[in-house]
Amino acid sequence: MTAISEIAARQEVAGLELRGITKAFGQVEVLHGIDLSVRGGEFVVFVGPSGCGKSTLLRLIAGLEEVTDGDILISGHDVTDDDPSVRGIAMVFQSYALYPHMSVAQNMGFGLKMAHRPKEEVARKVNAAADVLQLTPLLDRRPGQLSGGQRQRVAIGRAIVRDPQVFLFDEPLSNLDAELRVEMRMEIARLHRELGNTMIYVTHDQTEAMTLADKIVVLRDGRVEQTGTPAQLYDDPGNVFVAGFIGSPKMNLFPATLRDGAVHIGEDSWPLPSSLRPKENEGAKIVAGVRPEHMRLAGQEEPALPFTVTFPEFLGGTTLLHGHVAGDIPCVIEVERDVSAEMGAVLQITANPGDLRLFDIHGQRLR
Amino acid sequence: MRPYRILYHVTALLVAFLFLAPIAIVVLASFRTPAESGQPPLPPWPIEGASIDSYVRLDGFGASLLQHTGNSLYVALGTTILTVLVSVLAGYGFSRFRFPLKPMIFVLILATIMVPFQSILTPLFLLLASLGLQNTLTGLVLIYTTLQLPFSVFMMRNAFDAVPKEIEEAARIDGVRDLRMLVYVMGPLVLPGIVTVGLFAFLNAWNEFLAALVLLTDQSKYTLPVLMTSVRSGRFGSVDWGAVQAGVTVMMIPCLILFLILQRHYIRGLTAGAVK
Repeated sequence: MTAISEIAARQEVAGLELRGITKAFGQVEVLHGIDLSVRGGEFVVFVGPSGCGKSTLLRLIAGLEEVTDGDILISGHDVTDDDPSVRGIAMVFQSYALYPHMSVAQNMGFGLKMAHRPKEEVARKVNAAADVLQLTPLLDRRPGQLSGGQRQRVAIGRAIVRDPQVFLFDEPLSNLDAELRVEMRMEIARLHRELGNTMIYVTHDQTEAMTLADKIVVLRDGRVEQTGTPAQLYDDPGNVFVAGFIGSPKMNLFPATLRDGAVHIGEDSWPLPSSLRPKENEGAKIVAGVRPEHMRLAGQEEPALPFTVTFPEFLGGTTLLHGHVAGDIPCVIEVERDVSAEMGAVLQITANPGDLRLFDIHGQRLR
Repeated sequence: MRPYRILYHVTALLVAFLFLAPIAIVVLASFRTPAESGQPPLPPWPIEGASIDSYVRLDGFGASLLQHTGNSLYVALGTTILTVLVSVLAGYGFSRFRFPLKPMIFVLILATIMVPFQSILTPLFLLLASLGLQNTLTGLVLIYTTLQLPFSVFMMRNAFDAVPKEIEEAARIDGVRDLRMLVYVMGPLVLPGIVTVGLFAFLNAWNEFLAALVLLTDQSKYTLPVLMTSVRSGRFGSVDWGAVQAGVTVMMIPCLILFLILQRHYIRGLTAGAVK
């Protein structure tokens, strides 16, 4: 049996359920009734701007903070009042949080040692995890002698050795440089594929969220804004916040008016096919969103917006043009690299009506 | 560049000489013969052959040199152990636990540093007397520990503050709590702080004079600093300078050994939490 299958074989894949979780620090409520259901084996990413409560939510699941109200269930058992060590979770911290005075092997086996498990069992599990993470040559080193990427692998190894039902990652890649981050991202994706555990991953980096997640939970100000697969959130954002948060560069959002079956932005208008017309009053103020890659230079006879280029950004394969439309509404479009646009040039741009995402004045999606 | 470096080394040597000279003079002078020991201090080295006679005469004062050294060691080690024990627990508590009036209590503990302990010697003496601990080395240990604690608690709280919270949280997930947390996880991480606190406690207790003089009445219980005054004041009014030098040398030895062994940890302890 290979090391990975030995680790994976012992897992029974456990789901996670949050019911009406609220958390207050003193008088300040930071989480306002979170409901979430995670299937066993799912890779769920909590994403949101800093201060949205995503880390707090993870710490509540870990048991490092006490919930103010609500229940946490792991594979059907209520663990709300349980000690972190008996919840069947393991956590990987942003700062790695390795024990500096212990070797890599001791770091990884510490939890089992504290649980008074036999030495041979500890050694076997540590060796199996080290094998999976290519840490075997480093087992006798101290954390201080390791690079950032190696430390993070040790932290993940420590989590694997605990045989958790649910892995918790708290921004694990934030302290790594860009190249290593991509490498570790693939490593974590591979681990998830091979171990098949439920994993909860917190990040503010939407690229990490998009690439890793089976399911993304977008949080803002202690509330769930939207839950869905990366593609769902990208193609079908439920509100302006999610539309702006997922995707890089951000979706363009234009204040507009709905009139005569067309979207009016400033002086210009985009007719909507009847199938796409929202049930909204004539003359209603709305927000029209289009992703930069869906904008293109308009052909003859097409409805178009005049776009003033303020800053071209050459990316190699494509070029991003920053500028504004209809006065001073900021706008970014992605064009082929051979489109040459000087600063101050005015281009006619357009998008297919099907790529428009319309939101009401409160930011909710119009369908 | 070169003249600057030469100047640097010459200055360093001069400063080192300035600091080391008194110690060297004392140690060398302690090996003078009795006839020579009353001579002017310069040159300090023995001229007519070395002798350990000063040490033999020092042993003649009080009970015995061994007995008094033992007293001193008992007091210093007792103070060190008790100070470390209490200040580690208190520092951990102040750093990591939440309880009512925590900042006020902490400031109150620190504020006691401002009270000159000489001014409370009389009440301390009465307190010890009512506990039946007057004229005992254990009583002295209790007093030294009390005096040592405010600084030590402050040191240890800072040491614990410097340990990232995540390490403790990782340990909690690994199933470690409370006392086991202190022994297995936090203890090793605050070791430099513990060494610093212990070293200060040892040195202060080892060298303390006034409280020992006031509280100890039985000559057999004298610690080395108190013994030294009786050597200093001499028998029949004459001062035995050779014995004084020998006593000073004996008193220096444990301090030097301790400091040399622990200086690496000690320096790390003082700067812990200063950066980062």
